[in-house]
Amino acid sequence: MTPLLAAALLFAAAGSGDLALLPPDGAAGGFRRAEATQVFPGAELYGHIDGGAEIFFEFGFERVTVQRYRRGEDEVTLELYRMSDPLAALGVYLGKCGRETPAAGLDARHTAGRHQLMMVRGDFLVIASNETGRETVAPALVGMAHDLVARIPAAPLPDVFAALLPERRVAGSERLIRGPLALGAFITLGDGDPLQLGGRITAASAEVEDAKGRRTVIVAPYPDEATAAAAATSLRAGLDPAIAVLREEAEGFVFRDYSGRFGRVARAGSRITVEVGLTDAP
Amino acid sequence: MSHELDPRWNRRELLAAGTVLAGGLVVGTPRAGADTEVETNIADFMKVPRGPHAIPGPFPGKVVRVVDPRALRDEKVDGKVVGEMFEKGITKLTGRNMRESFKLFFTPDDVVGLKVNPVGAPLIHTKPELVDAAIRWLVDGGLPKKNIVIWDRFDGMLKDAGYTAERFPGVRIEGLQTMDETGSSWRTADGRHVSEDRFDRDAFYFAKGVVGKGVRGYKDDEFYLNQHVFAGEHSYFGTLVTRGLTKIVNLAAFKNTGNGISMATKNLGYAAVCNTGRLHQPVFFRVCTEVVAAPWVRDKLVLNVTDGLRGQYDGGPDKNEKFVWPLSTLFFATDPFAADMVCHRLVVEKRKEMGVTVNEHPRFTEYLHYAEKLGLGIADPAKLKLHTVRA
Repeated sequence: MTPLLAAALLFAAAGSGDLALLPPDGAAGGFRRAEATQVFPGAELYGHIDGGAEIFFEFGFERVTVQRYRRGEDEVTLELYRMSDPLAALGVYLGKCGRETPAAGLDARHTAGRHQLMMVRGDFLVIASNETGRETVAPALVGMAHDLVARIPAAPLPDVFAALLPERRVAGSERLIRGPLALGAFITLGDGDPLQLGGRITAASAEVEDAKGRRTVIVAPYPDEATAAAAATSLRAGLDPAIAVLREEAEGFVFRDYSGRFGRVARAGSRITVEVGLTDAP
Repeated sequence: MSHELDPRWNRRELLAAGTVLAGGLVVGTPRAGADTEVETNIADFMKVPRGPHAIPGPFPGKVVRVVDPRALRDEKVDGKVVGEMFEKGITKLTGRNMRESFKLFFTPDDVVGLKVNPVGAPLIHTKPELVDAAIRWLVDGGLPKKNIVIWDRFDGMLKDAGYTAERFPGVRIEGLQTMDETGSSWRTADGRHVSEDRFDRDAFYFAKGVVGKGVRGYKDDEFYLNQHVFAGEHSYFGTLVTRGLTKIVNLAAFKNTGNGISMATKNLGYAAVCNTGRLHQPVFFRVCTEVVAAPWVRDKLVLNVTDGLRGQYDGGPDKNEKFVWPLSTLFFATDPFAADMVCHRLVVEKRKEMGVTVNEHPRFTEYLHYAEKLGLGIADPAKLKLHTVRA
């Protein structure tokens, strides 16, 4: 499929859920659509996900299109999550993908297993689930992903991890953060939205290992210095009571968290850097 | 004789005791976190005298885990092995044989609800083979099959997870909430919610000022009501729970939810009542203690078996293959808070083992310690008694 045709399909899909993007009957080794396509726009995601929908909203969610496919007793459920932008799709994906185990030849970032395939492409997060768990169905998940790659154009992504030196990063530990839920995977700094990311500012994080030891480093880039300064002030004022500040610094502070580990918050210009999980006080 | 609680009687008793909700009676609330500011009716629940089967039951703080790698082979659950594990777990927990254990918890005139968790099928839900084992035990003990109800909040999810009349003949299968006969609408022709009458207006969990309006993620009141039936400050208990069941066996699945877990107490805390969408942000885990503390749950919940045939340590509560592993374990306890504390610690251990960052903020287990303060169970790790039985 040409990029132009893929773009046309994408445009057509936008008006009707994303039905036009779905693999047709007979795809992936003879699977046929079963039951009506379901579309859950915006807040109706709660009608599809029972537990865990909030992270989609935090990153920016548009709608999910859900289609079941059957081949005899085999069943596959395909979920196309259209997110607000490619980084939103990547953000949710990175939180879910675990250690990636890609299938050969699939031209999109993904991880594939016997039960599930997850893929990120353009604004989309794709999850294909093998509902019976039969091993013979796993190739069909990859087949459907191939079909979708042909229909969804790739989108360029900014290098949001540039501030986290590649040579020090622990491979596979990269995450994106746009609010308290994603941040909470690493540390609870306070109630509400401690870094004031608001679902719009994309912070990047990764495990880093160097002479200072292994730790998680989170870098939040704000649009300007004033916004960053306001966020830093708010963070310090609303700091979780279970975190003890050990030392105030010019533009930040050093702390010991509730697990007895150490960390540091530092603002430099329009950027706030948070280090957590240090075994020794910095 | 089985203990059956009349919700109307309790309400009268509460009113007689003068525990008016607006009076702001709050006992033993968690130590920290924003949710301490929300006033609930937990004090009313605690004023109701406990029934003879109230949690933590006869074995506070005791958790039995039965491990048998044969239970899950080539991704398939072996029902026979699960049955053997079930028997080992029950007998180790009670110190009695299966028939005597039955008598410890039930009488043949009980109506027993098996609370399953269908979310995450086919990977990380309550396995039907475990439910089979529980049904066999109950029937062997003398309980008529028609007195067994497999239940959850939504009937559609039960069906999707394989809990059907064909799979479980003779047993009732019931969701507290349903849709109309066509399966396409939450409302009747006259606009009433199809499930309105399935909730007991005399039995509720109250959270002052926390309502189902403007809740993040819900586009409007109509959508919220479709999902949650009611939208006010009250989360009503399912009539099945308050009037239909006399005992509850809680068959949760072993999985995380964020940095916490979604196992025994959440399996009931967020399923025995409606109108839960409003509760997640302001009082999330506290609900798991306070709803379970309500007499309609507390006095009927005789046994908890957490299905850890597979475990999921991250990405929950929905399934995520990347974080599922064959734990090949069932956990048994009469004390749901002890079971959850043991399982929480195992999840944390597993996360560390797998290199997943662990946020061990106290707020993720505070609700368990809160339950201990209320006398509902044991959460202090020093007081827990974990017994392991291996094949």
